[in-house]
Amino acid sequence: MTDEVPASHSDALTGLTLVEAVDAMRCGEITAEAMTTACLQRIERYDGRLNATIWIEAGPALEAAAEADRRRRAGAGLGPLHGLPMANKDMFYQAGRPCTCGSRILRDFRPDITATVIERLEMAGAITLGGLNMAEFAHNPTGHNAFGDCHNPWKPDYVTGGSSSGSGAAVAARFVSASLGSDTGGSIRMPASACGVTGLKPTQTRVSRYGAMPLSFSCDNLGPLARTARDCARVLHVIAGADAKDPTSAHEPVPDYEAMLDADLRGCRIGVPRGFLLEGVDPAVQQAFDTSLEVLRGRGATVFSVALPVMDEVTAYSAVVSRAEGSATHMRWARDHPGDYAPHVSGRIYPGFAVPAVYYIEALRRRGPVLRVFAREVFGQVDVIATPTLPGQIPTLAETDIDTGDADALRRYSRLGSNVRWVSYLGLPAISVPCGFDGNGMPIGLQLVGRPFAEGRLLKTADALQSDTDWHRRAPVLHG
Amino acid sequence: MAESFVEQVVASVRHWFCMEVPNRTARLMIADLETIIADFEAVRDRGRFEDEPCDFEVALQESKERT
Repeated sequence: MTDEVPASHSDALTGLTLVEAVDAMRCGEITAEAMTTACLQRIERYDGRLNATIWIEAGPALEAAAEADRRRRAGAGLGPLHGLPMANKDMFYQAGRPCTCGSRILRDFRPDITATVIERLEMAGAITLGGLNMAEFAHNPTGHNAFGDCHNPWKPDYVTGGSSSGSGAAVAARFVSASLGSDTGGSIRMPASACGVTGLKPTQTRVSRYGAMPLSFSCDNLGPLARTARDCARVLHVIAGADAKDPTSAHEPVPDYEAMLDADLRGCRIGVPRGFLLEGVDPAVQQAFDTSLEVLRGRGATVFSVALPVMDEVTAYSAVVSRAEGSATHMRWARDHPGDYAPHVSGRIYPGFAVPAVYYIEALRRRGPVLRVFAREVFGQVDVIATPTLPGQIPTLAETDIDTGDADALRRYSRLGSNVRWVSYLGLPAISVPCGFDGNGMPIGLQLVGRPFAEGRLLKTADALQSDTDWHRRAPVLHG
Repeated sequence: MAESFVEQVVASVRHWFCMEVPNRTARLMIADLETIIADFEAVRDRGRFEDEPCDFEVALQESKERT
């Protein structure tokens, strides 16, 4: 590692948002080397307690930072993520580097290809520090992991949310200002909410999945967790767009998302769903939700209630698709090495083998028609749907440890994703934005859901909220 | 009834995949399948959807915002 950056200066650097940091590095106010060193020092100082990282390679990161500084001094063209240190959920392949997918099974795996999203980030100037903790094979919503549970920076006894647990924790702890995660049933939005950061799940097909660990190939999505909506906009612009290596990626043009962030919500219609998404919501969460809607009204949005159709269908079909696909990927390992999984992971994978193919095919065949009906009936009335991201207060790791066999733990575990899962079957984009804190001092998130490819509108709405609130600027106090 | 359902699932997975139930958590989660079957059967043939095929990617394009 290069010379230590004094702690106060280091904290000032890691306290910058992605856009602030990149802008400062692009104009030479700070160097990529100082920024990278500050991030590495912060990880070294605090990660022992949080367990947000699985592996860190300081040497290559510092070499890349020095090269970024040389490029700037030479007057070379600089990318939109110039010099930015990032660490990502440990499920994106990078040729010759570790990729554990949070598992013992892939502990020694070194892929020979690199994920398109990683290539695009690095082409834009990002510097990869390492891989972050995650639910084993992305198979839980809490942050439990056989490598060691990931702990919430706000209170280490509490869950981070999952499965992008390390991404949520690392951004909240200011180890990095942005991280890539994946979201198949809420795995970006839940940790974003629980850790008090901003997380965007793009539209299905918006971002190439080449070189990313599959979980449920019909619903897998890759996207950013960062401090602000503007930061997410910058990252999404870099990673979105068609990719010849992923034929499922959409050829939809990629707009300049940052240019859309004008905090003006006049004409924007926000729908609050009637029904189960707001039933049984914790009072503190409800209050934060209502307050954030008031803020959005103040920016010109209109807010009214809306009925969401076909939710029974969405619930039934998405459960079948996620069970069947989540198991299919693991058939060989689940048969030959069942003991190498954590019990809650093999326990979750196993029942999927009993889902009949006819159910699975029917669930997939209905996906287009269900989306059509939903879009026609809902997006004819509103532009954005708003819900709390997590309906209840954040539980502790102990309260959701289903390996103990505690039925209450299983209930809490399942309840975590109840407001986010439905979005994935419909393939819609969604963002979670910090909007308050509960009585335990844990963050609360607002989920905004939009039409297909309406990421710009979601980012604009989230940015408007962040223009008038400071929840996203609050930082946890860490202890080494 | 619940026990017999679990045993049926275990036998089916053993038959089709040569796989044994790995642990107690798996047995607990098999019970979820009963809910999944009930939810699935409850929505089958409600007749709200067109019968002609509709590709999901096409539906995404059709449903996007028009400016």
